[in-house]
Amino acid sequence: MWKKKLYASKPSSTILLRTTELAKIQSPNSVSHKNTPILNPLLQISASYSSSPPFVREIEGEFFATAGGLFFGGSRFHKKNVNLFVKKKNSFCSESQSAEKLQCWNCDATTDGTTPFLVCQACRSVQPVNHSIDYFQILGVERKFNIEVDELEGKYKDWQKKLHPDLVHSKSQREREYAAEQSARVIDAYRTLMDPLSRAIYILKLENVVVDEEERITDPELLAEILELREAVEDAEDTQALNQIKAQIQEKMQYWCNSFEDAFLNKKYDDALGSIQRITYYKSAKEELVKKL
Amino acid sequence: MLRHVTNRILGQALRVPATPNPAAVGGAGLPRMYHERVVDHYNHPRNVGSFEKNEEDVGTGLVGAPACGDVMKLQIKVDNGTGKIVDAVFKTFGCGSAIASSSVATEWVKGKQMEEVLNIKNTEIAKHLSLPPVKLHCSMLAEDAIKAAVKDYEAKRSKANGKH
Repeated sequence: MWKKKLYASKPSSTILLRTTELAKIQSPNSVSHKNTPILNPLLQISASYSSSPPFVREIEGEFFATAGGLFFGGSRFHKKNVNLFVKKKNSFCSESQSAEKLQCWNCDATTDGTTPFLVCQACRSVQPVNHSIDYFQILGVERKFNIEVDELEGKYKDWQKKLHPDLVHSKSQREREYAAEQSARVIDAYRTLMDPLSRAIYILKLENVVVDEEERITDPELLAEILELREAVEDAEDTQALNQIKAQIQEKMQYWCNSFEDAFLNKKYDDALGSIQRITYYKSAKEELVKKL
Repeated sequence: MLRHVTNRILGQALRVPATPNPAAVGGAGLPRMYHERVVDHYNHPRNVGSFEKNEEDVGTGLVGAPACGDVMKLQIKVDNGTGKIVDAVFKTFGCGSAIASSSVATEWVKGKQMEEVLNIKNTEIAKHLSLPPVKLHCSMLAEDAIKAAVKDYEAKRSKANGKH
């Protein structure tokens, strides 16, 4: 009966197995006395798992002798040890996830690979964030620059219906944390792919081409054009003038987005970066303009 | 009126409390976003303006940081005889740190020799404004602008001398 009780609780069962093994090695006959030889392996185990002396002291007091083996005062043990073991299992879990087979941490079901593994299809538990799943995969769109932004909203909301933190209030601390991280990642994915500029920067990043945040340029033509544009925005007197400029900016942004796509498809990443520069400049000009409107 | 004009020029890019009070922040550990000097340059900008680009005693430096969408123009007016910078103006579209850096640059180049101002380092500007690491490139931009302005003036001069 005590065995049932013990094995029902995962954390302590592992330590029990280890201690019974060691006990068998140390004293094959009987373990019906609080003996230091038996206590020592226990202390060794506890020392390897926890550095806190209070825990060790507790073990000494919690020692029960029974016919079949060693038994620890279950509840006290749980409180101290649960987190440790959960963590160990965690590290197991992430290892198996980085390997080909993705497994649910909760029910051990493997994913069929048709949908991104953010939520287990069998038990519906939210999974920890897996960074090898990129934003395009999460939102179920092709990895290209010219995507249908109208499709994104629906898919984004579908995900939130499954993994939003509000849905997991009654679940474990672990799953609540997963839900918070996973939900945030889906939001990031949605925002990044919705805006053309951030989408362009992201899609280049996936090709390992990174925009240099601190780059400085002296291209006189480009800079003179942007300076003129910013001055025009600043000097514009009325809404009509501003809207005119806004239309011009939109046109230019569209042109350079197309230019980006061409460059990207032809793997001309320098040109692609150049297009991104221009789009960034037009975007900041537009933001200032909109403030005035 | 000047304030109104300069506010429009600076594009209200700076979102900051009007009077950041260090005492009020106290022990709460709230990060102050912009140093007092940066806010000062923003609220009381110096040397905002433009010289006629084609004048023979004017050097124009035009630089940009595309990742932030910043563009910075710094112009110097040089005494042709002595090589001393007699006046300087700037126009910057970008964040408060970029605006302040270029403003400081125009203050520092005034009254100096051209060779001297080439020694102005971005680290000095950054230190003066207590720029955080993420804004260090703004001070680099200002250093670039100074150098570009001097280079432009010298190119003009050698062209002019070549003609004679």
